[in-house]
Amino acid sequence: MVKNDGGQLYTIEGFAAGLIMIITAYLVVNATSVYTAGDTHINDMQLEALGSDALRVMDIPVSNDEHSLMQDIIEDTDIGVNNLTFGTTFSSLVNNKTGSSRDHIQFTANVSYRSTGDTIDSYLLNNTRNLSGGEHSVRATKWVIVDELHGNVQPRAVLVEVLLWRD
Amino acid sequence: MTDDSGALSIDFIAGFTIFLLAFIWVLSMIPGLLIGLQAYTIDYDAVAYRTGVMLVEDPGEQVVAYPYYPWQSYGDQEKEKAIRFGLAVSKDTPNILLQDKVNRFFCVTTSDPAVGFVYPKDYKDRLIFGDYRFNISLLDQGQTLSVGDVRPVNTSYGYIRRVVKIKSDSNATIDNPYMTTHSFIKSDPVLTHVFSIHINNSKLLGEIINPAYQIDPPREQMTINITDLDDFLQPTVTLTAIKICTMVKNPSSATCYPLTSSLSYPYVDGSNTRTSMPAPVNENISLRFNPQYFNDRISAGVGDIFIVLRFDLSNPGLFLNNTQALPDFDTMNAETTFFNPGTGIVNPNTTPFDYNYYPENVTQPRLRDAVLEVAVW
Repeated sequence: MVKNDGGQLYTIEGFAAGLIMIITAYLVVNATSVYTAGDTHINDMQLEALGSDALRVMDIPVSNDEHSLMQDIIEDTDIGVNNLTFGTTFSSLVNNKTGSSRDHIQFTANVSYRSTGDTIDSYLLNNTRNLSGGEHSVRATKWVIVDELHGNVQPRAVLVEVLLWRD
Repeated sequence: MTDDSGALSIDFIAGFTIFLLAFIWVLSMIPGLLIGLQAYTIDYDAVAYRTGVMLVEDPGEQVVAYPYYPWQSYGDQEKEKAIRFGLAVSKDTPNILLQDKVNRFFCVTTSDPAVGFVYPKDYKDRLIFGDYRFNISLLDQGQTLSVGDVRPVNTSYGYIRRVVKIKSDSNATIDNPYMTTHSFIKSDPVLTHVFSIHINNSKLLGEIINPAYQIDPPREQMTINITDLDDFLQPTVTLTAIKICTMVKNPSSATCYPLTSSLSYPYVDGSNTRTSMPAPVNENISLRFNPQYFNDRISAGVGDIFIVLRFDLSNPGLFLNNTQALPDFDTMNAETTFFNPGTGIVNPNTTPFDYNYYPENVTQPRLRDAVLEVAVW
C-alpha cells in the first residue's frame, strides 16, 4: 500500500506539471495577442491616407483659372440633397487600383460649417451606405474654402468629413 | 515487495507521459506564439509608406553643384547625378506629380545601363534604401506604368496606395492657319528664312506663382510643334541650325549661343529620335528642349530668351519667317534683331512667337487624376 501511494504521487506530479505548462501557454498567448491586435493600425493608416489623398486631390483645381471640383460641389449642393458627383468621384478615387481589380471601400461624407446663428451645422454630402455602428471606420477631413454657401455669398471655410470603411 | 516495485514504475510512466504530451503541445504552440511578435510585415508596410511619401510629396534630389539641373533632366550617361527619386512638382505641392519626372522614373531597364535606370540597383540606391524587393505602379489615363517584380501571391507584402494628380507639360502648335493669321509667312521669296520663339522667363514665373500651374522651362520640358510645312512646296527644305539668344537688362547685354546638346535636338517629321542638324524637313518639326538647355542660360539676370531656327530652301520662295536676322543668322546681333534691353528699342520687322499663358498660343499645363501603388516585400 505504501508503494502504491508513492506511485500516485508521481501521477499527480505529471498532472501538475502539465497543467502548469498549459496555463503558462494560455497566459502567454493572451499576453501576445495584444501585439497582433496592434497590427490593425496599419490598415487604418492606409485607409486614412487614401481618404485624405482623395479629398486633397478633389480640392486641387485642374487649371489655374478654375475652381476645384470640391468647391463647386459644396457651393452647388443644397442641404438634404445627395450629391452624386461627389459620390462618383470620391468612390472612383479611393477604389481604383493600378491592376484590374477594384477595392471595396464604403464611405459617408458630411459637411460642417458655422451657420448665421453662430452655431455649427452639418449635413450629409453623400454616402454609399448607412452606418450601422458595426463598421470599423476611419476618418479623413479637409478644410475647403468656398465663395458661397446656400445663397450666402461670403468666403468661408467648411469642413468636409468622410468616414471610410471596407466591406 | 517485488509486485509493489512494478506498480511504481507504471505510475511513473503514466505521469511522465502526461507531462511529455503537455510539453509537446506547448512546443507546438511556440511558432504560433511568435506570429504576433513577427515584425516583418510591419516593417514592409513602413518601407512602402516611406517610399510612397517620397514619390508623392518630394521633388527628388540631384547633386549639389552649380547649375542646379532637376534630376530627371540628366541623360543616361549622367544619371549618377540623380541621387534621390521624387515625382512631386515641388516640395510645396504634395500629391501633384510632374509628367517629366514620371516619364523618367518609369524609363527602366534590367540590363543596358545606357538606356534607362537599371532595376533593381538604381531604384534601391535612390528610393527604397534597403535590400527589399518591390513593385511600383501608376495608373494614368487607363494605362498602367510599372517598375519592379511581380507581386508575390502566397506571401504578404507591405503596401500603400496614393491618389495623385499629374501635371502635364505645356505645348504649342504652330500650324498653317496660325502662321497665316499671325503673318508668319513673309512675302519675300528668298533662300534663307528665320523663325523665332520668345520665352519671357521672368514674366512666366511672375504671372503665375503656383508651381502646379507654372510654365517653368528651366525645370520642365515644353513642346513646340511646327506643322503643315508641306503646304509651302519646295523640292527640299533644310533645318540648318538652332540658336538661343539671351537678354540681360542690368547691365544690358544680349548674346546668342548655338544649340549643341543632343538632349535638345529637334524631332523631325514624326520621328521618335532626336535629329542632329542640318536636317531635311518635309512636314513637321517638334522642339522639346531639355530643362538643362534653359538652365544653362537663365542665370545672372537673364529674363528674355529667344529660340531662333534657320531654314534653307532649295529654291527662293515663301516660308515660315518672322525674324529679320541682323546682319545675318550666323553673325546675328540679338539687340538689333529683337530688342535692345538697355534702351528697350524693338525691331519692328521681327515678330517672334510668344510662348506665354494665353490659351490661343499655348496649351496650358493641366492636372489629371492618377493612382500610385507601392508594394514591398
